[in-house]
Amino acid sequence: MAPSLIRSPVQLPPAEALAISQQAPAILQSAPSAVSSSILSKEKSELWIEYENLILSCLRTGDERAAHQCLDRLVTRFGEDNERVLALRGLIKEAEAQNNGELEKVLKEYEEILSKNDSNIPIMKRRIALLRSMGRVSDAASALVQLLDFSPTDLEAWSELSDLYFSQGLYPQAIYAMEEVLVLAPNAWNVHARLGELQYMAATASGAGNGAYQKQMAEALKRFSRSIELCDDYLRGYYGLKLVTKRILKDSAKPTKQTDDGDFSLPDTRTIERLNELATAKLAEIIRHSSANDRGWRGYNAAEVAAARELLSEDASSDIKR
Amino acid sequence: MTILSKTITAFGGILLAHACYSAQEHSALHSLRVATAASLTSSSTVANSLPIDVVIETIVATFIILLGLVLGTRPLRPIQWRVWAGKIEREGEDGFKDNNGEVNKDYMGNPFNFIESRPNFVDIRKQRKEFAEWVRTGGGGQSTR
Repeated sequence: MAPSLIRSPVQLPPAEALAISQQAPAILQSAPSAVSSSILSKEKSELWIEYENLILSCLRTGDERAAHQCLDRLVTRFGEDNERVLALRGLIKEAEAQNNGELEKVLKEYEEILSKNDSNIPIMKRRIALLRSMGRVSDAASALVQLLDFSPTDLEAWSELSDLYFSQGLYPQAIYAMEEVLVLAPNAWNVHARLGELQYMAATASGAGNGAYQKQMAEALKRFSRSIELCDDYLRGYYGLKLVTKRILKDSAKPTKQTDDGDFSLPDTRTIERLNELATAKLAEIIRHSSANDRGWRGYNAAEVAAARELLSEDASSDIKR
Repeated sequence: MTILSKTITAFGGILLAHACYSAQEHSALHSLRVATAASLTSSSTVANSLPIDVVIETIVATFIILLGLVLGTRPLRPIQWRVWAGKIEREGEDGFKDNNGEVNKDYMGNPFNFIESRPNFVDIRKQRKEFAEWVRTGGGGQSTR
C-alpha cells in the first residue's frame, strides 16, 4: 500500500516515492480538474496538500508531466500570484534545469519576485535551498539569517540553519539553532533527540577540550533522556542514550578532572550505569518485538532496528572480550 | 468484539421495543378500564402507573444497549503525551485505524517530523539524483513487491 499523500513525501524511501508517483495518473483522473471556489462546492482542503505532495514525488521520480498537471490545477484554483504556487513553479523549474546557467536563471527569477515583494517566505526558502544546492553555502546562510531576522518563529528555517551549520562542521552554531527550535517546540521528542545527537557529535569531534567534552556529553545525556521522557519506546532516543552512556562509562575508566560547572556536571557513575542498562533492555525489547513483527510494534524503521541490533551486538562482543 | 457488541446492542434494542410495546398496551387497557369504571362509579382515583416489571425491563434494556455500544467503540486514544507519542513511534499507522481498517484522517505521524524533513527547503535536484542512482543500482526491481 502506498503511503498517505497527506503527509510530506520528502523523507520517504525511493520505493515509496515511486509508488506515489505511479498513482499520479489515477489521482489526477479521479479528482475534478477544476473546483469552483463557491461555498457550496465540496472542496476538500486535503486535495491541495495532496497535489503539492504529488508534485514533490513526481519531480523526484522524473515524471514532470504529472507535476505540471498538478501545478495547473493549483493555478486554476489559487491563481498565478499565490506565494506557494510561485514556489512550486520555481521548484519544477529547478528540477528541470539541465545546467548551471538555467539554475542561475531560476535564481534571478526568485530575486525578481523578492524585489517586488520581499516578504514572500516560500520563495525566500526556495532561494535559500537553491543557493545551498548550488554549493553557495555562505550566501545561503546569510539569506537564512536574514529570513530569521524578520520571521524568528519559523521552526523549519531554524532547523535548516542548524543543518547548514552542521554540514560545515560548525557544531556550536548548529546546536544554538537547534536550541532555538526547542524553545519554539519544547515537546518535540525528535528535536530533543536531534539536539542530543548534535551534542554527542560535537563532543566526540576532535578538538574539544576536556571541560567542553564533559559538558557536551552531559548535555547530550540530558537531551536523550528528555526525548525518552516525552515518548515511550522511542528507538532513536534509547539508541542515543545507549551510545552516550557507553562512551561515558568507557571514559570514566581513566580518571578525569571534574569540572566545577555545577549545571552541566555528569551524574554519578551508578546512575549512568543504570541508564545504560535501561537503554540496553529497552533496545533489546524493541528489537525482539519488531523482528518478530508483533502486532503493535510495526512502526519502526527497519534500518533503525538493524542499527540498534548492531550496537547491541557490538556491546555484547566487547563484554565477552572483557 | 464487534459481533459480540452488535448482538448485545440488538438484544437490548429488542428488550426496549418490547418494554415500549408493553407500556403502550398497558396504558391502552388501563384507560379503557378507567373509562368503564368512570361510567359505572363516576370516580377516577385509580393511579395511572406502569407495572413494575415494565419499568425494570426498560431500565435493563437501556443498560444492555449502553453495554453493547461501549463494547463496540474503538480503544480510547491515549491522553498522556508520552504514551501517545510512544504509540506513534511504536505502532505507526497500525495504531490509528478505525473499525474498517482505514487509517484515521487526522493521523499524521509524528507532528514534528516537518522540523527535520523541511519540505519547503527540499533540494529537489539532489533527490532526483539519488532516485536515479537508486533506479540504476537495481532498486527498481524491488518496487514490484
